[in-house]
Amino acid sequence: MSATAMQHKTKRWTFATIKYVLVIGICVVMAFPFFWMFSSSLKTNDEIWAVPPILWPSDPKWLNFIEAWEAAPFGLYMFNSTFVATSIVIIQLINSSMMSYALTHMRFPLGRMLLVMIIVTYMLPVSATYLSGYVILSRLGLLDSYAGLIISNSITIFGIFLLRQAFMQVPKEMVEAAKVDGCGHWRILWLIMVPLARSTLIVMGLLSFITMYNNYFWPMLITKNPRLQLVSAGLRSFFIEGGAYGLKWPLIMAGSTFTILPLVILFLVAQKWLIKGVSSAQSINK
Amino acid sequence: MNWKKWGEPQAYLYVLPALIPYAVFWLAPMAYVVYLSFMDWDFMNPVKAFVGLENYAKLFTDKKFYSALRTSLLFALGNVIPCLIGGMLMALLLHSKLKGLAIYRTLIFLPWVTPMVAVSIVWAWIFEPRVGLANAILKFFGFGGLEWTQSPDTALLAVLIVTVWKGLGWTMVFYLVALQNIPEFLYEAAMLEGANKVQQLIKITLPLISPTTFFLFLVTTIDSVQAYDQINVLTQGGPAGATRTLLYLYYESAFQRFNVGEASSVAVVMIVLLAIISSLSMYVSRRRIHYI
Repeated sequence: MSATAMQHKTKRWTFATIKYVLVIGICVVMAFPFFWMFSSSLKTNDEIWAVPPILWPSDPKWLNFIEAWEAAPFGLYMFNSTFVATSIVIIQLINSSMMSYALTHMRFPLGRMLLVMIIVTYMLPVSATYLSGYVILSRLGLLDSYAGLIISNSITIFGIFLLRQAFMQVPKEMVEAAKVDGCGHWRILWLIMVPLARSTLIVMGLLSFITMYNNYFWPMLITKNPRLQLVSAGLRSFFIEGGAYGLKWPLIMAGSTFTILPLVILFLVAQKWLIKGVSSAQSINK
Repeated sequence: MNWKKWGEPQAYLYVLPALIPYAVFWLAPMAYVVYLSFMDWDFMNPVKAFVGLENYAKLFTDKKFYSALRTSLLFALGNVIPCLIGGMLMALLLHSKLKGLAIYRTLIFLPWVTPMVAVSIVWAWIFEPRVGLANAILKFFGFGGLEWTQSPDTALLAVLIVTVWKGLGWTMVFYLVALQNIPEFLYEAAMLEGANKVQQLIKITLPLISPTTFFLFLVTTIDSVQAYDQINVLTQGGPAGATRTLLYLYYESAFQRFNVGEASSVAVVMIVLLAIISSLSMYVSRRRIHYI
């Protein structure tokens, strides 16, 4: 082998090594807070205040998890989050499908205007409307109820965009053929469009579920009853009251761990879909 | 009924299930908050007193407002720029035919999936000044410790670190997809023409991922203006107002001081600001963005 070829090869190797070191370094930094949370949740109160910090406790205190679980109604919080998020996702999938279908495959001249209006409001901060939204919700008598939590979140502009994009890909001829065979809009929508766009629907449902499960600001404003709290609000009150602002860090970290865990599992199971779906999401601006 | 002009009657039925909540929980509150910004009200009083532009006049002479505006802008810049550049660099790195791409991608995307409140609590513990991990690392490298969330000088930085950490995976995944969509033959052609890697990056890659940059710029800016969870957990707008953004000012005046008029005027300012930013970036993108 000639000297230059050798040189070339070494250069490529150094390059590759640098790349791997960089990537692994980034991953460690990104994931370390999760490891730290988990390891802190297994420490005793003495270990957690140790200087310098202990990476992994010599005798992991698994009982911390049981103690934290019993210190606050986390089961209830998780049920609330799951129940509310699931209901919202189901409603959103149905009403977004119907709207996207009308926008793409029906004669509906006003649809264009509707779409522009929706795009414009999508670019405005929804939280600026929480104050007036709160007043409206109270007039409707929906404060402090599951119904209020679900109904006030039952629209997803992002989802309508995604679905419209997916429905537009379905060839018009296919819809026409179905019409000739005697299918009405209702059957075309649920028997042809929805099955064809199922990957988009899954992505949309997942993104919506994650957002709604984690939702904090709006649900906290419209529910005062602690039994209606979603996981985020529940964890936060545990942090302040039960955790006595940092005096019981191991328990707080244990609480954070089992709050995060369901989402991590969901993500690991569904990540193929999620990441695929992102590709269709960005065509919004076209 | 003139069918040609109005379309199919059924279409109206199909949009209703989405249109009703949209009208009640998006449009109506938007209009209502503008109306409330001309009123003096405390939620309780049955009568709202019309005060014209007084709320705005007060707001625009209030030092707190300008400090909140500044904090919001700093926060937006401090979130958008690192998220876009960091996400792009990480995507370029991951795109260069590395083994184990799926594992790296999963790890980097993971923070986005988890609840902001929970991870903010974890970071509150990391930022603990006496025994927290952040200071332990700084000391290990020979630096002095920081007060992080407890000092007005570093509180915004601490909140930004959490926000960027959580958002990086999201932007990276978008950039990864954009990079994968660039046709390979463009690079082959460029190589034949004798373009080096840097030239390829500037002439091919960056222009072709510019729609993604535009989209992410818009989405991240909207998110930055609305950041609440992490501020609420880590600093609650403090210390000494160092992390009080417009949104947090709005939250405090509405739900802690029950000054609906003031809060609504802040909300209107936020809406107008984002409307300006969005239309400006739309305008720029129309002229500069390249699509494949």
